[in-house]
Amino acid sequence: MRCEHPPGSGDACVTAILDVRDLTKVYGDTTALDNVTLSVEEGALFGLLGPNGSGKTTMIKSLTGQVRPSGGSATVLGRDVVADPVGVRSQVGIIPEQETPPSFLTSEEYLHLVGAIRKIPDIEEQMTWWFEYLEFGEKRDVLCKDLSRGTRQKLMFAQAFLHRPVLALIDEPLINFDPIMQEKVKDFLADYVKKGNTIFISTHILEIAEEICSGFAVLHKGKLLSTGRVADVTEGGMHLGDYFLSLVRAGGHV
Amino acid sequence: MFELFLAMMKEEWRVHSTMFGSLSFALYPVLIFAIACMGSFLIPLIRPLLPFGDLALVTHALFLLLGLMVGAFGLLINEVMERRFGQASTLAYAARTLPLSERVIFLNFVVKDTVYYFVLWVLPFVAGFALAAPFAGIPLATPALLLLTLSLSFLTGLSMAFFLSMVYARSKVLLAAVSVLLAGAIFTAHLGGVSLFLPLTLFRAFSPVTLAAACAVVLILAALSIALLRPEAAARAKHHREMLVPLARRLSPLPYPALAAKDCIDLLRSGSAVGQTLFSFLIPLGVIWFCLSLLDPFLPASGILLLFAALTGVVASTMYIWLTMFDSFGPYACLPLGVADVMKSKVCSFAVLQLLPAAFIALVAVCAGEAAHLLPALVLCLSVSFYGLAVTVYLTGLSPNVLLYDPRVLVLYLLALGAPLVALIVLSFMNPWYATASVVLVGVGWWVVQKGFVKWEGREVVGY
Ligand SMILES: Nc1ncnc2c1ncn2[C@@H]1O[C@H](COP(=O)(O)OP(=O)(O)OP(=O)(O)O)[C@@H](O)[C@H]1O
Ligand SMILES: [Mg+2]
Repeated sequence: MRCEHPPGSGDACVTAILDVRDLTKVYGDTTALDNVTLSVEEGALFGLLGPNGSGKTTMIKSLTGQVRPSGGSATVLGRDVVADPVGVRSQVGIIPEQETPPSFLTSEEYLHLVGAIRKIPDIEEQMTWWFEYLEFGEKRDVLCKDLSRGTRQKLMFAQAFLHRPVLALIDEPLINFDPIMQEKVKDFLADYVKKGNTIFISTHILEIAEEICSGFAVLHKGKLLSTGRVADVTEGGMHLGDYFLSLVRAGGHV
Repeated sequence: MFELFLAMMKEEWRVHSTMFGSLSFALYPVLIFAIACMGSFLIPLIRPLLPFGDLALVTHALFLLLGLMVGAFGLLINEVMERRFGQASTLAYAARTLPLSERVIFLNFVVKDTVYYFVLWVLPFVAGFALAAPFAGIPLATPALLLLTLSLSFLTGLSMAFFLSMVYARSKVLLAAVSVLLAGAIFTAHLGGVSLFLPLTLFRAFSPVTLAAACAVVLILAALSIALLRPEAAARAKHHREMLVPLARRLSPLPYPALAAKDCIDLLRSGSAVGQTLFSFLIPLGVIWFCLSLLDPFLPASGILLLFAALTGVVASTMYIWLTMFDSFGPYACLPLGVADVMKSKVCSFAVLQLLPAAFIALVAVCAGEAAHLLPALVLCLSVSFYGLAVTVYLTGLSPNVLLYDPRVLVLYLLALGAPLVALIVLSFMNPWYATASVVLVGVGWWVVQKGFVKWEGREVVGY
């Protein structure tokens, strides 16, 4: 990725895989994102935290070109999300907040569709691996609309990682999973990052964020309240949850 | 129960009004009122050409058709909303969590559709007619009677649609049998000089007995469909064969074979392949053919075939709605696809679907003993259809089903389509072969479609 600093300028060059500058998104009279500036390093498991309605989903949608920012800019993997949304989406994996696989396709057909559009050569092996890993192979011939929420979420996980993206953006990754599946998915995410990939998740489950994330940002009413490394908060003996609550409570009175 | 009804009414209004703004949607009845009023002023002019009786027939047939379409669409809308806004988003779904039986919910749904569209469509039409009646030399009692008989026509269509779709949900064979029986009954009655279309009979000669009979038909059909209603998912096949890969291979000449295959699967598995062909294609065209046949004496030779071909083209262009109604951009938004890519693939799937109108026109031409003019009829039908598609794509992007309710868009659509249509019909009345001039529309349509792709690519997609 491009380095923000000229070579030899002294500063260590941190490669930002995701770079957000003064991003603003206004829906009618709601400001969902308010001048947010944020950057995520390569290899991070980054958690975007915030209460309901704070703008997390809007951030993920803006970063993947699904909504058009009202102001500011964002680059993902060096591509501008406004100028080249399709280019961004071809590189990254996305799991949206609402798991909406096409109703009338079976799980298997949906993954085939994704494989065809993303031109994944080893789609069969990938698919088999995911059916086995997330234990939903027996649902491969069931229509998506007849799947349970958890199974739909599994399917959305599989579709996002089929092409082994270097960056995955996941809106609330664990919310529909049972505890066993949650462990499995957490392991997968940790492992995926270890291989040098980057993961950007949004969540309001702070224990999970504290457990798996390396970096974090806190949004509140569309404003960025804080961003940093999880370790910097927890090293001081504080839980991310307490830190978050104190921030949001203070932020709420601004 | 009444609360549920009120909530459903509000929901219906919000669904429509959030799509394009309440003001825009509220203008819809005004538009119908204006059209009916202006049309009625023309009655004295039309009369020498088309007897008042025939005009009444056409109007009643149109409201019957309207009822059929609203009924069919009403049943589909649940599925559509679920598709677009996620599960349990409509009250018909959400109400299942309430201590109400499926039948009560459905009854509410039927009553809601009836009242809603009555206020939106039937009432403004009659009001427009009533306003013009004194100026057109029509006694004021006529609009009052018309309000009654048109409402009955509309209700007959609505209950018929509910009835047929409930039969369809039970068994396709049963639907075929019932359809044949119905067609047979109508035909025999027609031969015997008896009209089974009671609302019209009532309009021509009011009698309490006919009124009772017409109401009974509606009530019986509605009662039957409620009786036939089967609580959800009783007999749904749970497992499905993988069809995407083989279908995509077969569609490989198209630019996005996998997307086209998905469209085909959607049509098949949602039941719209049969349902839409019947309710949005064959039945409307049947009614149109019937109305046109009344005009036959006034048309030049082969005129009826070409006029019908042009109108079939218009109806065929609405097949774009079939392709988009179960689809939202949501699932595509995770993939490296732009809006224009999805639209392009829909246009390709549309092209494949055009085999249906092509075969249909061929059949009609042969059956009507007009095989000699098959070629111009085909060219006219398909060109008009493609041009209609282009206009729809440009005006409405990926959500034609909802946007066509927007009166502003509708007026634009009618103007864009009406002008060339009239020109072509006049041309083909001069000489059937002149209809081939319609290929020009293909060129224009191509240009409009490209403009549409650019226009919608630049828009943010709602609905996920
Ligand atoms: N399409 C839209 N139209 C209008 N307002 C919207 C739209 N999408 C989101 N908003 C508003 O933007 C704000 C941020 O919403 P967003 O969905 O990004 O929140 P979130 O942090 O993801 O919340 P949650 O934790 O509940 O998922 C909210 O006030 C929401 O009402
Ligand atoms: Mg959210």
